[in-house]
Amino acid sequence: MNKLKILTKSIWVFHFASGPCNNCDIEILDILTPRFDVERFGIKLVGSIKHADCLLITGMLTRKGVVRLKEIYEMAPKPIAVVCFGSCASSQGIFKNSYNRAVPVDEVIPVSAYIPGCPPRPEAIIDGIVKVVKKLRGEI
Amino acid sequence: MKEKIKERLRERIVKWEEKSKRRFYIQIKKEDLKEVVKILFRDFGFRFCTATGVDNIKNFEVIYHFSDDRTGILYNLRVFTDREKPSLPTITDIIKGAKWIEREIHELFGIGFEGNSDLRRLLLDESWPEGVYPLRKDYEYGRREELPDSLTCSISEGVKEGRTVIPIGPYHPLQEEPEFFELEVFGEKVIGININIGYNHRGIEKLSEGKHWDQVTFLVERICGICSTSHPFAYVLAVEDLLNLEIPERAKYIRSIIGELERIHSHLLWLGLAGHFLGYNTVWMWAWKTREVILDICEQISGNRNHYAMMKIGGVRRDILNSEVDGIKSKLNSIISALNLFKKAVEDDPVIHARTKNVGVLTKEEAINYCVVGPTARPSGISTDIRKIDIKNSAYPLIEFDVPVLNNGDVYDKIVVRVLEMYESVKIINQCLDRLKDLKEGDICEEVREIPPGEGIGRYEAPRGEVFHYVRSDGGNTPTRHKIRAPSYMNVLSNEVSAVGGTVSDAAITLAAVDPCYCCTERIQAVEFNKVKYRWDDLIKLSQEKTKKIRKRLRE
Repeated sequence: MNKLKILTKSIWVFHFASGPCNNCDIEILDILTPRFDVERFGIKLVGSIKHADCLLITGMLTRKGVVRLKEIYEMAPKPIAVVCFGSCASSQGIFKNSYNRAVPVDEVIPVSAYIPGCPPRPEAIIDGIVKVVKKLRGEI
Repeated sequence: MKEKIKERLRERIVKWEEKSKRRFYIQIKKEDLKEVVKILFRDFGFRFCTATGVDNIKNFEVIYHFSDDRTGILYNLRVFTDREKPSLPTITDIIKGAKWIEREIHELFGIGFEGNSDLRRLLLDESWPEGVYPLRKDYEYGRREELPDSLTCSISEGVKEGRTVIPIGPYHPLQEEPEFFELEVFGEKVIGININIGYNHRGIEKLSEGKHWDQVTFLVERICGICSTSHPFAYVLAVEDLLNLEIPERAKYIRSIIGELERIHSHLLWLGLAGHFLGYNTVWMWAWKTREVILDICEQISGNRNHYAMMKIGGVRRDILNSEVDGIKSKLNSIISALNLFKKAVEDDPVIHARTKNVGVLTKEEAINYCVVGPTARPSGISTDIRKIDIKNSAYPLIEFDVPVLNNGDVYDKIVVRVLEMYESVKIINQCLDRLKDLKEGDICEEVREIPPGEGIGRYEAPRGEVFHYVRSDGGNTPTRHKIRAPSYMNVLSNEVSAVGGTVSDAAITLAAVDPCYCCTERIQAVEFNKVKYRWDDLIKLSQEKTKKIRKRLRE
């Protein structure tokens, strides 16, 4: 439990995209820039999964992506919060009939939170972050 | 021009169809394909847009689309091949830009190309079963293939001794999407590049065949979040071309307003990232801060920051209230001071000059050969802009604007073109908003009940270049074929020439200079880092260090 609490201080995020439409990815960057600026709370994107406290997944998970997702999850230091970002990552969304789809994210790795929306609004993203923090602290 | 072509091709023409004033379909025999392509591409100087494969069940059909950029007329070569052993002659020896499309048709339709030795898979993964072609009609909608338990990722083989391969990419947070280039280097110099794509493929062309005509606009919107109005725009234009429909004037203005707002926010986005690649993170933050203003306007008009859902066959979905026009205008014009700032920064800063001038040059000749489009072509002296030549159902023929064209083809010119385009976009939106005031509110859509059998092509100038949509209807509820070609599909391949010969530290900005959009291109790649010397972060660091050095030197 204590270990989990440490995670809530300044969450470092690794962003994994597999077949998104780019919009979620842009909104993720967007909340780092001056208007929303979640970097104030120590939240930032990192280049390596080994530095990350949180794995953020966007996109409908393509056949090529699913292999990498598994590998990246195995490389990640545990505990790690896994967040499905956007409708596609949460439920395959509009692409659920695609021939290049793999399986939904939560059938591959355990997921801690979903942030639905197409794309989620910055306010929804920030709300999602707050909920992840609360969950890690054991408040919900 | 039409007569000239008819005379030149003469007995090679099997059938000449004119579906509308700007869309000619020429059926030829497949033996003549190479000859005819040579005539159109070399002698007449047409640009190769893309090729569309169609499964007619009794046979296969491939349509090669050529654009006459002076008049905006599309000449489409139609060839048929039988179903048992489908095969066509390759055209990659004439047009380099056809490399990818032949690979794609090969893997999705199973059509072979005689004389093309490089028919590796482009989009599908290695574990995809042999002999299964997802875009054929006998591949059911919604079907998927089982995944094998273990898969491995590989870096391409055949690197000569003394050379190193540097994979650039893919999962770095500051690229807005994963992308993967393998640079082959000798010392500091880049001598080869392999562009490895296919990770973002979502099979949208197949999905579209299972959706109603109206639903497809929402689907194509989700091809790409940044060009999320360009694709629906081109799609509705394609269907309207099929219907031969003219939309109300008010809808035309609203369409152009949304399109140009998107262009501004997309260019600002790119400018910010380019600044970041050069080590100017302040530029990144400032550009994105300014971008928020544009997103606010989009939200005011459409209700969403991205994915506006404004396009509809026959018009637009939502009106802009005349009472809101002045507010939108003042908000829009408030970004001009920020644009001036960026323009001055680009013009005056000696470091930006040193880092971008004569870097990653794409000559006019190569630009033509690789069929590049949009702000990748215009810095190389090609003045093509689809808005000027071929968008009937939009405000562009009704208003005035310039198309900035430069001649050096380097990264610097690519930055300048984009900055200048933003000024033009502001000008266009202001004109459109002014006209809206004189028109009656509410008259924004023609009713469309049925889509008759036929085919249509729509094109739009997205922030990255020409978006191309081809649709075919058999009179039913869904398209029988929907081909999509995004601009990055043509532009990314040109890195083969623009990045080669430069240094490793310049690679990051050169590769970024085409403003690649892989979601559009429907591809993405990941790679394992175990044997690798540099990663994308290291390259950015290298790039930023070079900027620092130059800045120091210039100060001394």
